[in-house]
Amino acid sequence: MAEVRGALLKHLRVNTTSLSLLRYPNPTRNGLFTLTVNAIRRSFFDEVMGSFLDKYEVTDRVLCVVKNFQKVDPSKVSPTAHFQKDLGLDSFDTVEAVMALEEEFGFEIPDNEADKISSINYVVEFIASHPQAK
Amino acid sequence: MAAAPTRIDVLQLYRSLMRVARQFCDYNIREYTKRRTIDAFRDNKILTNCSQLSAAFSDGKAQLEVAKRRALVYSLYAPKVKSIMDIKPS
Repeated sequence: MAEVRGALLKHLRVNTTSLSLLRYPNPTRNGLFTLTVNAIRRSFFDEVMGSFLDKYEVTDRVLCVVKNFQKVDPSKVSPTAHFQKDLGLDSFDTVEAVMALEEEFGFEIPDNEADKISSINYVVEFIASHPQAK
Repeated sequence: MAAAPTRIDVLQLYRSLMRVARQFCDYNIREYTKRRTIDAFRDNKILTNCSQLSAAFSDGKAQLEVAKRRALVYSLYAPKVKSIMDIKPS
Protein backbone atom coordinates (compact mmCIF):
# COMPACT_ATOMS: atom_id res chain seq x y z
CA MET A 1 0.00 0.00 0.00
CA ALA A 2 2.74 2.41 0.94
CA GLU A 3 4.75 1.43 -2.16
CA VAL A 4 1.78 2.13 -4.44
CA ARG A 5 1.31 5.51 -2.85
CA GLY A 6 5.01 6.30 -3.14
CA ALA A 7 5.11 5.27 -6.80
CA LEU A 8 2.02 7.34 -7.55
CA LEU A 9 3.41 10.41 -5.83
CA LYS A 10 6.66 10.21 -7.75
CA HIS A 11 4.68 10.63 -10.98
CA LEU A 12 2.54 13.52 -9.78
CA ARG A 13 3.32 16.88 -11.25
CA VAL A 14 4.19 19.56 -8.71
CA ASN A 15 3.47 23.12 -9.85
CA THR A 16 5.28 26.20 -8.54
CA THR A 17 2.53 27.38 -6.17
CA SER A 18 2.65 24.18 -4.15
CA LEU A 19 6.41 24.64 -3.61
CA SER A 20 5.70 27.81 -1.62
CA LEU A 21 3.19 25.80 0.39
CA LEU A 22 5.97 23.36 1.23
CA ARG A 23 7.92 26.17 2.83
CA TYR A 24 5.00 27.71 4.69
CA PRO A 25 2.40 25.01 5.27
CA ASN A 26 -0.73 26.64 6.64
CA PRO A 27 -1.81 24.70 9.71
CA THR A 28 -5.39 25.94 9.61
CA ARG A 29 -6.25 24.31 6.28
CA ASN A 30 -8.35 21.17 6.38
CA GLY A 31 -6.78 17.77 6.99
CA LEU A 32 -6.93 16.43 3.45
CA PHE A 33 -5.00 19.38 2.10
CA THR A 34 -2.22 19.13 4.67
CA LEU A 35 -2.08 15.40 4.01
CA THR A 36 -1.45 16.06 0.32
CA VAL A 37 1.18 18.66 1.11
CA ASN A 38 2.90 16.28 3.51
CA ALA A 39 2.72 13.54 0.89
CA ILE A 40 4.35 15.83 -1.67
CA ARG A 41 6.99 16.85 0.85
CA ARG A 42 7.67 13.20 1.62
CA SER A 43 8.07 12.31 -2.05
CA PHE A 44 10.84 14.93 -2.28
CA PHE A 45 12.56 13.47 0.75
CA ASP A 46 12.33 9.91 -0.61
CA GLU A 47 15.37 10.37 -2.76
CA VAL A 48 17.25 12.34 -0.14
CA MET A 49 16.97 10.47 3.16
CA GLY A 50 14.41 7.66 3.05
CA SER A 51 10.73 8.08 3.78
CA PHE A 52 9.04 8.10 7.15
CA LEU A 53 6.07 5.83 7.67
CA ASP A 54 2.62 7.11 8.50
CA LYS A 55 1.88 6.83 12.25
CA TYR A 56 -1.53 5.14 11.85
CA GLU A 57 -0.03 2.53 9.54
CA VAL A 58 2.79 1.92 12.01
CA THR A 59 0.31 1.56 14.88
CA ASP A 60 -1.76 -0.93 12.89
CA ARG A 61 1.21 -3.07 11.99
CA VAL A 62 2.69 -2.96 15.49
CA LEU A 63 -0.64 -3.99 17.07
CA CYS A 64 -0.96 -6.80 14.51
CA VAL A 65 2.51 -8.16 15.35
CA VAL A 66 1.94 -7.92 19.11
CA LYS A 67 -1.45 -9.64 18.86
CA ASN A 68 0.10 -12.54 16.93
CA PHE A 69 2.68 -13.00 19.67
CA GLN A 70 1.90 -16.27 21.43
CA LYS A 71 2.30 -15.12 25.02
CA VAL A 72 0.08 -12.07 24.61
CA ASP A 73 -3.66 -11.96 25.21
CA PRO A 74 -5.02 -10.16 22.09
CA SER A 75 -7.85 -8.49 24.00
CA LYS A 76 -5.42 -6.57 26.22
CA VAL A 77 -3.45 -5.12 23.32
CA SER A 78 -4.08 -1.41 22.87
CA PRO A 79 -2.01 1.50 21.54
CA THR A 80 -1.14 2.54 25.10
CA ALA A 81 -0.31 -0.92 26.46
CA HIS A 82 2.88 -1.39 28.48
CA PHE A 83 4.68 -4.65 27.70
CA GLN A 84 5.48 -5.64 31.25
CA LYS A 85 2.70 -3.96 33.24
CA ASP A 86 -0.35 -4.44 30.98
CA LEU A 87 0.56 -7.43 28.83
CA GLY A 88 2.35 -9.39 31.55
CA LEU A 89 5.53 -10.07 29.58
CA ASP A 90 8.92 -10.42 31.24
CA SER A 91 12.13 -8.87 29.92
CA PHE A 92 12.96 -11.86 27.69
CA ASP A 93 9.52 -11.68 26.08
CA THR A 94 10.00 -7.96 25.54
CA VAL A 95 13.25 -8.67 23.67
CA GLU A 96 11.44 -11.27 21.55
CA ALA A 97 8.65 -8.82 20.78
CA VAL A 98 11.16 -6.15 19.73
CA MET A 99 12.90 -8.70 17.45
CA ALA A 100 9.55 -9.57 15.85
CA LEU A 101 8.92 -5.86 15.25
CA GLU A 102 12.40 -5.49 13.73
CA GLU A 103 11.55 -8.27 11.28
CA GLU A 104 8.18 -6.74 10.43
CA PHE A 105 9.65 -3.34 9.62
CA GLY A 106 12.85 -4.67 8.09
CA PHE A 107 15.46 -2.60 9.97
CA GLU A 108 17.80 -3.15 12.92
CA ILE A 109 17.14 -1.48 16.26
CA PRO A 110 20.42 -0.89 18.15
CA ASP A 111 20.72 -2.48 21.60
CA ASN A 112 20.70 0.75 23.61
CA GLU A 113 17.47 1.89 21.93
CA ALA A 114 15.86 -1.52 22.23
CA ASP A 115 16.51 -1.53 26.00
CA LYS A 116 14.41 1.62 26.36
CA ILE A 117 11.41 0.14 24.58
CA SER A 118 8.82 -0.73 27.20
CA SER A 119 5.44 0.25 25.76
CA ILE A 120 3.63 0.20 22.44
CA ASN A 121 3.46 4.00 22.45
CA TYR A 122 7.24 4.29 22.55
CA VAL A 123 7.63 1.69 19.77
CA VAL A 124 5.26 3.53 17.45
CA GLU A 125 7.03 6.85 18.07
CA PHE A 126 10.42 5.27 17.50
CA ILE A 127 9.50 3.48 14.28
CA ALA A 128 7.58 6.43 12.85
CA SER A 129 10.62 8.64 13.37
CA HIS A 130 13.12 6.16 11.93
CA PRO A 131 13.85 6.77 8.23
CA GLN A 132 14.85 3.19 7.45
CA ALA A 133 11.56 1.60 8.52
CA LYS A 134 9.87 -0.09 5.55
CA MET B 1 36.41 -15.07 39.44
CA ALA B 2 34.70 -12.74 36.98
CA ALA B 3 32.05 -10.37 38.34
CA ALA B 4 28.45 -11.45 37.89
CA PRO B 5 26.91 -10.29 34.61
CA THR B 6 24.51 -7.37 34.92
CA ARG B 7 20.91 -7.51 33.76
CA ILE B 8 21.76 -5.48 30.67
CA ASP B 9 24.59 -7.88 29.77
CA VAL B 10 22.27 -10.86 29.99
CA LEU B 11 19.64 -9.19 27.84
CA GLN B 12 22.27 -8.21 25.29
CA LEU B 13 23.54 -11.77 25.11
CA TYR B 14 19.96 -12.97 24.63
CA ARG B 15 19.42 -10.45 21.85
CA SER B 16 22.70 -11.35 20.12
CA LEU B 17 21.82 -15.03 20.16
CA MET B 18 18.39 -14.32 18.66
CA ARG B 19 19.99 -12.15 15.98
CA VAL B 20 22.43 -14.91 15.06
CA ALA B 21 19.51 -17.36 14.93
CA ARG B 22 17.89 -15.13 12.30
CA GLN B 23 20.93 -15.45 10.04
CA PHE B 24 20.71 -19.20 9.57
CA CYS B 25 19.38 -20.30 6.18
CA ASP B 26 18.10 -23.65 7.42
CA TYR B 27 14.65 -23.40 9.01
CA ASN B 28 15.30 -26.27 11.44
CA ILE B 29 18.56 -24.88 12.79
CA ARG B 30 17.06 -21.42 13.08
CA GLU B 31 14.11 -22.64 15.10
CA TYR B 32 16.31 -24.85 17.26
CA THR B 33 18.65 -21.96 18.09
CA LYS B 34 15.71 -19.77 19.10
CA ARG B 35 14.10 -22.54 21.17
CA ARG B 36 17.36 -23.44 22.90
CA THR B 37 18.20 -19.86 23.88
CA ILE B 38 14.70 -19.29 25.24
CA ASP B 39 14.79 -22.54 27.24
CA ALA B 40 18.32 -22.02 28.57
CA PHE B 41 17.76 -18.41 29.67
CA ARG B 42 14.49 -19.31 31.37
CA ASP B 43 16.03 -22.23 33.21
CA ASN B 44 18.86 -20.05 34.47
CA LYS B 45 16.56 -17.16 35.37
CA ILE B 46 16.26 -18.41 38.96
CA LEU B 47 20.03 -18.66 39.59
CA THR B 48 21.32 -16.37 42.32
CA ASN B 49 24.76 -17.82 43.04
CA CYS B 50 27.42 -15.47 41.61
CA SER B 51 29.76 -18.18 40.33
CA GLN B 52 26.91 -20.12 38.71
CA LEU B 53 25.71 -16.94 37.03
CA SER B 54 29.11 -16.09 35.57
CA ALA B 55 29.61 -19.72 34.48
CA ALA B 56 26.27 -19.72 32.69
CA PHE B 57 27.03 -16.32 31.14
CA SER B 58 30.42 -17.37 29.77
CA ASP B 59 28.87 -20.59 28.50
CA GLY B 60 26.30 -18.51 26.64
CA LYS B 61 29.03 -16.32 25.16
CA ALA B 62 30.94 -19.38 23.94
CA GLN B 63 27.77 -20.72 22.32
CA LEU B 64 27.26 -17.35 20.65
CA GLU B 65 30.73 -17.58 19.07
CA VAL B 66 30.01 -21.11 17.86
CA ALA B 67 26.68 -20.03 16.40
CA LYS B 68 28.26 -17.09 14.56
CA ARG B 69 30.86 -19.33 12.94
CA ARG B 70 28.24 -21.92 11.97
CA ALA B 71 25.94 -19.31 10.49
CA LEU B 72 28.79 -18.07 8.31
CA VAL B 73 29.75 -21.55 7.10
CA TYR B 74 26.15 -22.60 6.49
CA SER B 75 25.51 -19.48 4.47
CA LEU B 76 28.34 -20.50 2.13
CA TYR B 77 26.50 -23.73 1.37
CA ALA B 78 22.92 -22.51 1.47
CA PRO B 79 20.41 -24.98 0.07
CA LYS B 80 18.79 -23.96 -3.19
CA VAL B 81 15.38 -25.29 -2.22
CA LYS B 82 13.70 -23.42 0.63
CA SER B 83 12.06 -25.37 3.41
CA ILE B 84 8.27 -25.55 3.04
CA MET B 85 7.85 -23.85 6.40
CA ASP B 86 9.51 -20.72 5.04
CA ILE B 87 7.15 -20.31 2.12
CA LYS B 88 4.32 -17.99 3.09
CA PRO B 89 0.89 -19.08 1.91
CA SER B 90 -0.13 -16.75 -0.91
